[in-house]
Amino acid sequence: MSRAWKSPVARRDTAPTLSGKQQSLAFTEPPPPPHALSLTPTPVRRLWFCIYLPNLPLEACRTSDEALAIVEEQHGIYRVLQTDLLAAEAGIMAGQSTNAALALMPTLKLEERSPVREQQVLEQLATWLERFSSFVSIAGNDVLLLEIAGSLRLFGGLPKLRQAIAEGLAAQGFSAAMAIAPTPLGATYLARAGRRVCIRAEENLSPALRSLPLGCLNWPEGQREALAGMGIANIGDCLRLPREGFARRFGAERLLELDRALGHLPDPRDSWRAPERFCANFEMNEEQSDRKLLLNICHELLLSHEQFLLARQLGTQRLCFSFFHLKSPATELWLGSALADRSATRWFDLLKIRFESLCLPEAVIAVRLRSGLSQPLQAETGRLGFHQKDGRQRRRYSIAQLAERLIARIGDQSVNAINMVAEHRPEYAFSLQHPLSDWSVSTLTSNTDIRRPLWMLPEPALLPADGNYPLYKGCRLRLLDGPERLETGWWDEYSISRDYYTAMNGAGMHLWVFRNRQRTPSWYLHGIFG
Amino acid sequence: MSLEKLLENPRVWRGSSQNNRQVGLASGYPELDRCLPGGGWPLEALTEILIGQYGMGELRLLMPALAQLSAEDAHSSLGEPAEPGWIAWVAPPFQPYAPALQQCGIDLSRMLVVRPKDDSELLWSAEQALSSGTCAAVLLWPEVLDDQASRRLQLAAEKGHSWAIAFRPLSARHQPSAAALRLELQSTGQGTQVHILKSRGGRPATLNNLL
Repeated sequence: MSRAWKSPVARRDTAPTLSGKQQSLAFTEPPPPPHALSLTPTPVRRLWFCIYLPNLPLEACRTSDEALAIVEEQHGIYRVLQTDLLAAEAGIMAGQSTNAALALMPTLKLEERSPVREQQVLEQLATWLERFSSFVSIAGNDVLLLEIAGSLRLFGGLPKLRQAIAEGLAAQGFSAAMAIAPTPLGATYLARAGRRVCIRAEENLSPALRSLPLGCLNWPEGQREALAGMGIANIGDCLRLPREGFARRFGAERLLELDRALGHLPDPRDSWRAPERFCANFEMNEEQSDRKLLLNICHELLLSHEQFLLARQLGTQRLCFSFFHLKSPATELWLGSALADRSATRWFDLLKIRFESLCLPEAVIAVRLRSGLSQPLQAETGRLGFHQKDGRQRRRYSIAQLAERLIARIGDQSVNAINMVAEHRPEYAFSLQHPLSDWSVSTLTSNTDIRRPLWMLPEPALLPADGNYPLYKGCRLRLLDGPERLETGWWDEYSISRDYYTAMNGAGMHLWVFRNRQRTPSWYLHGIFG
Repeated sequence: MSLEKLLENPRVWRGSSQNNRQVGLASGYPELDRCLPGGGWPLEALTEILIGQYGMGELRLLMPALAQLSAEDAHSSLGEPAEPGWIAWVAPPFQPYAPALQQCGIDLSRMLVVRPKDDSELLWSAEQALSSGTCAAVLLWPEVLDDQASRRLQLAAEKGHSWAIAFRPLSARHQPSAAALRLELQSTGQGTQVHILKSRGGRPATLNNLL
């Protein structure tokens, strides 16, 4: 029987033999073109890390410590699918009807299984796993696969990597079975069978897989029962069956799957790519208006946001929190940062400042955090410690952080930087800049011969006149210096024609005044020499 | 009893003998520097300038020192290669005019103008700027500044190694304040008189025609 089992391609790196070709034709699969195989001279050694999450339906729904059972509709009746420890101690088992379960434990919380939620959790986990490998794949609805051959060196060897993943999963509240093998399906079978093994060499894979029970194959119940009825107990028995007969009875797909598991056929996988924008929701069971609790929820979201960006080596400059209410439209809170940042602590500091003044019309039922466009992280240059003689931290935060904090509290328009503009009209000779925007200081230097006031009025104030002299607060001004004629701007509608003087009042104030050169000249105050 | 003996009595406190290690920042006005205990503006502290109206020369008085802070290494005296400090203007009564500031030697790329909506925001902003450690000087124009607020500013200035300058009306003269230095500017017919009302480690003085 064992002679009858021959793989269509004995080894991936050798050309198919004639007999292999003939046999593979029997599977109704087109044979792989011989030249394509000969183009792969050295097989890339791959190592697959499989994470199997048997309790995913339960773990995806858990929100509190209450006894919980996941139910699923089977033939019109809701039956228990999975239970947590508390419920299991009360005697609730998978397969019970909901009524039986509730009779055993009236306080039991029942949740319907939610495949959508499970898929979301899988995607979250895949996103988290991207820190360990550049190739993460979601297989089916309860398996995650990582290609780790390239990660071993970085993470300091297989035991450390395995420990890091196991600890991370446990910390997130997931119970996982893990196995490592040179093929993705092989690793999956091992994990499903609960073998905590690590197979690195391809030649050790086949013996390990042969001893696995049929339960680890994700095949339909009927096929597994049929195999069991034939006296087939494990994969090794399966492999000893004649290929043609096996393919006819169970379909060529099954045969190919076993071939892939053993590494006789290539098994390409789709790589999981996390979305580049972060969006996460936190839904509450009931409406909450406790602001402290809401802040804590936001902190949780910020932590997962940090993890999201950490995996990509990115940061973001903008974040948006949405607080959903039952009746009113959602309240939005935008946060901005000077530099692309991901640190949850810094975002949380900013959030706290803004949250104080945030007005929520009613209690909150859900919170969503969306991040703006991700950007490469701009690292701030740290300073080496030798220069700090007194050992004190002088700088608490940079000017960008200071500007962020100020903007967060008092508003976007209220914090400005100033720049020079090449313009003769005094009121246009400067411009206000957003401090967080990327602006370069103009290299313009002002003429030092002409004295300019340090204070500028928002717009020129009309002064009453006494004959040829202006009055300021009822007091005649003494003209000290001038006139300096400015006549410009004829190309647009704000042309000016003015004579500027430096004037002094009785109280010793130095003022910058001008006389309009029009038919009816009038005096204006434009600046103060502070 | 001779005078020397009297002075040896430990209960006699003499302001000038106080061991003041704080070196002041030269104000650019030698007459004023001579009257200030550290030979200049007391940095890392609150300075109050009382004025009857804007335009008395209060900015001119500060400009040489601010230009120095803006141009040079703010912490050079401590041997730390820090970048020059920023100058924050909190709630200025008018628009600080860029060309004039540049004429005075202020680096415009290191200037921040903050316009808070009310006095509590003003004090918060000033405190943040002072304690951040990035601002070499923070100028503020509060409407009211009580004793407690001035103490907070003083502490924030010490914490962030920054110089706080508060401009206040003449009516604040009789209010208590934690400022290290209080000046009053009064105009006479000829020019502006500077009164040193309070100077930590120094003594009151009057300077005529300084500006």
